[in-house]
Amino acid sequence: MKTVVKTGLAAWGLAAGTAWSAPITFNTALPVYESGYVLREQFVFMKNADDPTSAKRDMEVTGLVSVLGYGVTRDFALFGMLPYFDKRLDMTMGGQGLTRRRLGVGDLTLLGRYTVYEYNALGRTFRIAPFLGVKAPTGDDNTRDGLRRLPPPVQPGSGSWDALAGTVFTYQTLDFEIDSQLSYKANREANGLQAGNVAEFDASLQYRLWPRSLGNGVPAFVYGVLEANLVYSAKDRVGGADDPNSGGTTLFITPGLQYVTKKWIVEAGVQVPAIQHLNGTTLKNNYVLSTGVRINF
Amino acid sequence: MSFRTFPPRMAIALGIVLILVATNVLAAPATYQLYVDGLSCPFCAYGIEKKLGAVNGVQGVETNIKDGTVIFIMKDGVTLDEAAAKQAVKEAGFSLRKFEQVRSASPGTPEGRAK
Repeated sequence: MKTVVKTGLAAWGLAAGTAWSAPITFNTALPVYESGYVLREQFVFMKNADDPTSAKRDMEVTGLVSVLGYGVTRDFALFGMLPYFDKRLDMTMGGQGLTRRRLGVGDLTLLGRYTVYEYNALGRTFRIAPFLGVKAPTGDDNTRDGLRRLPPPVQPGSGSWDALAGTVFTYQTLDFEIDSQLSYKANREANGLQAGNVAEFDASLQYRLWPRSLGNGVPAFVYGVLEANLVYSAKDRVGGADDPNSGGTTLFITPGLQYVTKKWIVEAGVQVPAIQHLNGTTLKNNYVLSTGVRINF
Repeated sequence: MSFRTFPPRMAIALGIVLILVATNVLAAPATYQLYVDGLSCPFCAYGIEKKLGAVNGVQGVETNIKDGTVIFIMKDGVTLDEAAAKQAVKEAGFSLRKFEQVRSASPGTPEGRAK
């Protein structure tokens, strides 16, 4: 059960570095200028349903994700990501409809990204940037409702310290940008549950739709965006044993649009699962809607 | 008919004033063109303008993303050091390919050097 939220939000969790005009669902290797800040505010809505069991579970997660990036040096940037969640699980139990819901601040992700290679030429750049991060259990992971302790997917926080690492490749020209990322998230145990580790491969193409030709100055760009996220999630471990109803592989496709100016970006995308091979009765992901703004300062 | 003549001291003072006024009218700020590699999106241009705008003595910065150039206009009498420009471009995350002075600071003004 936790898998679906974990898989659906995996890409967003690793999007902490996505502060530049860049992919919507993951990181980029583009620079944050030295001593400069970028702020990203993102509204995310995720819907998971199609429960094969009689519980007819239906889960919705609404999140406001704040990302702050800071250029420590021209090559090293730090990012912090803090989500605020409204998680709601509707299900049927004993013929009765039941809703379990929780609002709250989620877990804080801190990420350091270092550019190890760059090639710059007129109107284009290629960069490789590994990153390393940690997810701190800042969100409440032991909340209860009138029934009992809420299940882990409805808790705002996971309760565990988790580590994540990866490398992002970016090739940007005036006409288009291609990003790809390999990442791995190692989850640790908390409250008797160890969420399965997550491996992910992401790719993004951003193509300038407007203006068709460039004049003087710095005009705003409209990018058409197409992204793919291949997410593999290992089975969760509960009480030292694998949970057969967790884990699996999902391929998301994300079409989107970005309006990019010097000072800010506004964007929207819908992440839809093209392929889902999930274990047991794991809830399927229906879609993840994202819209947001990024600001340079 | 009689002509009034300026006393010599007044004529000298007037001459100095005229020279100063002419110098001021003709004063033009030094202007540079930087050719920057790696600049390929509007959002990236913000960083380079911020960094270059923070260089001492800068009056204005204008970026042309298509040809990867940044026009750099200095305050009167101040010139730009190539090393300072290169450092600012580097801190913005890009590379300076070429540094070109397109207009010199007008002569006769006290010349400073931006760092």
